[in-house]
Amino acid sequence: MNEAKRLGGWLFLGRTHGMIFSVISPAILLMIWEGVCRAGLIIPTLLPAPTAVFFRLVDVLPDPEFLHHLGQTMIRLLSGFAIALVTGVSLGLGASGRGSLVLEPIIRVLAPIPKIALYPAFVLIFGFEHTSKIALVVADAVFPILLATLHGARAVEPKLLWSAWAAGASRRMSIFTVILPSALPAILTGCRIALLIACVTVFLAEMISSTDGLGHLMIRSARSFRIIDMFVPLILISGIGLFLNAILLAARKRLLAGFDH
Amino acid sequence: MSIKSVMSALVIPRAIWHNASAFLSLGVLLLLWEGLAHYINIDGFPLASEALLQVPVILREREALISIGASLWRMFLGGALALMIAVPVGLTMGRNQRTAQALSPVLTLIYPIPKAALMPIIMLWFGIGDLSKVLVIFVGVSLPLIYHSYHGAQSVDEKLLWSAMAMGMKPVERLFRVVLPSALPEVLLGCRVGLAMALIVMIASEMIARQSGAGELLFNALDMALYTDVYAIIIILAGIGFLLDWVFERIRSRLVHWAEIRQDAVVPRGRA
Amino acid sequence: MANSIILIENLTKCFVTTDGRRHLAIDAVNVAVAEGEFVSILGPSGCGKSTLLYMVGGFVTPSSGQILVQGKLVTGPGPDRGPVFQEFALFPWKTVIENVMYGPVQQGMSRRDAREHAERLLDLVQLKKFADFYPKELSGGMRQRVAIARTLAYQPAILLMDEPFGALDAHTRTVLQNELLNIWERDRKTVLFVTHGVDEAVFLSDRVVVMTRAPGRVKAVIDIDLPRPRRRVDLLMNRQYQEYVIKLERLIEDVHLEETGP
Repeated sequence: MNEAKRLGGWLFLGRTHGMIFSVISPAILLMIWEGVCRAGLIIPTLLPAPTAVFFRLVDVLPDPEFLHHLGQTMIRLLSGFAIALVTGVSLGLGASGRGSLVLEPIIRVLAPIPKIALYPAFVLIFGFEHTSKIALVVADAVFPILLATLHGARAVEPKLLWSAWAAGASRRMSIFTVILPSALPAILTGCRIALLIACVTVFLAEMISSTDGLGHLMIRSARSFRIIDMFVPLILISGIGLFLNAILLAARKRLLAGFDH
Repeated sequence: MSIKSVMSALVIPRAIWHNASAFLSLGVLLLLWEGLAHYINIDGFPLASEALLQVPVILREREALISIGASLWRMFLGGALALMIAVPVGLTMGRNQRTAQALSPVLTLIYPIPKAALMPIIMLWFGIGDLSKVLVIFVGVSLPLIYHSYHGAQSVDEKLLWSAMAMGMKPVERLFRVVLPSALPEVLLGCRVGLAMALIVMIASEMIARQSGAGELLFNALDMALYTDVYAIIIILAGIGFLLDWVFERIRSRLVHWAEIRQDAVVPRGRA
Repeated sequence: MANSIILIENLTKCFVTTDGRRHLAIDAVNVAVAEGEFVSILGPSGCGKSTLLYMVGGFVTPSSGQILVQGKLVTGPGPDRGPVFQEFALFPWKTVIENVMYGPVQQGMSRRDAREHAERLLDLVQLKKFADFYPKELSGGMRQRVAIARTLAYQPAILLMDEPFGALDAHTRTVLQNELLNIWERDRKTVLFVTHGVDEAVFLSDRVVVMTRAPGRVKAVIDIDLPRPRRRVDLLMNRQYQEYVIKLERLIEDVHLEETGP
């Protein structure tokens, strides 16, 4: 998929070489890691054994305080992603049509900016609470969705549109009944990339300045050099990323039943 | 007919319009900022004009320049290291099924980890010096590079490799003399993504670690409530991001052009 | 012709290529089609015959000249002219029946009525069993039947067919030609049919418009005076049919010769 390539590859995900192979090598890696720790080759304060991290995760997960932090992160992550999705798709559709003259150069200027650098400005404008973090997530996640929508909408087969117009669909209706569904495969690819970016972004924002959330937990543990507690939120956020990605992959399969993959 | 011909004569060449419209929209965005800041009117959101005027002031400060320079240097080191290691790994994965089967599940698991967030752990292992900062950037850049090299190598024409084998090229030689040139357009695309990634990881990790560099400069200004400075530094970083991307695109289009000529040249040589 | 349903007058289309050169695709074409008439436009590939059809459909704007459909100037697509494309152009995300329902629903028919209506049309093209399939699960011939049903569903006065059987294998093409004629015999819609197949044009049409290439001009208009309903097997033995085919083959050959020079 070309638009996926353009947006940068996050797509080791979902491209598996059969179940067995996809389990073997991570398992071997974990076993070596575990073995090294058990054999005492590395001081446990520098690298905890994977089993130790896992048990700590299981331990803290039911803890209400931990759940509160997890919840804060999820609120920021999901609401940021939702806003990015709506904005990205509508701006992408707009930029593919009449709005291209105005929107395209603006996108060209804004897209290569490292969004994380905007975070201090968001903090100054929106404060230290949810809003600044959500704003950063939106700023980071909106571009993959927007660009994917734009490319998907541009690539619509003109004869599909002609068929719709001839059948009596208005220009406006054909956006919803032809352009949007045509662009859906591209949009979903953009979404998968954006979702992972959102996970990363929210975590980083919480690490940089926050009083709660998984990222904050990690930085708090770092200050007191509790290495296991640094690994727990890091692994959890990565797991959330993988999980959400899997959900999107499943949704993709259902939504794109009519397309050739 | 006459109106159409006049119109087509008046059409501005695409390339000029392309650049002009970018500058135009930049101006519009700055104006928007100016107006919005006027309207909101809080200390934390200075006018665009104020922030812009502060840019040359900061760029004249020795300390700031050293910080930004050091950041860029580390970024360059991390990127170069990634190029040397990730590209061969990706290319090998693309040509060797076993390697791909072994590595891609591991890479899948590593992919969603926030790379800049590894900073505190890496600092614990390698200290607070430059090594840690370079390593984080290296990790961040490596993944997109591996991915794109992998895909580039996968789509290399088999016949090119057969003729290279017939010529008696050794596997490593084939990787660099046949696979790399054919996969170059895709590898360079990975480099572009990697470049953006490097900048993001650099800024984020410096913000997290608060140990010298452009990201720290930014948060120092924030801590000292020098709001105009904060925005000026953001403008500088955004400018760097834009400039790096622009320069890289120039280089890329040249290199890919070269690669296409090379690709043609490989075939007749192989047949001979 | 005063009572023409389609009136193409002095139509010209000029494209500007990416390097700024002008390419005259269609030059001063005049065609009139009477109501209920089956007219084919025959010409070598690249003669602009599809462009001509797209202009009648309102998908492409003419550079000069005009097209009147039922006395009204064509300014854009409309449900009075239903296209059928070589590429089928089915909506891949919709099932077969949803594709057929599209037009009626867009024109305000309730989904339930549209479904019943679509079922009848699927019956007509013998695809009732495949209503809930996706287009990708069907063969080329079946897809084109769906496309025809989708177009018939909104009851256009005119069918605009752009080499509709060009992407099909020879056998399927014959079957679909027969089916098209059967459907046409029932309600005698006006059909404008673009093709580069001489026998197809003769078999289907009342009249064949032969076009030249670069620029596309009308070279000749041949009336096909063969009895209907037509059956392929009968026609193959028909002397008149053979003469039409030979005549048209000669005209097409001339077009090629004129182009390459003596």
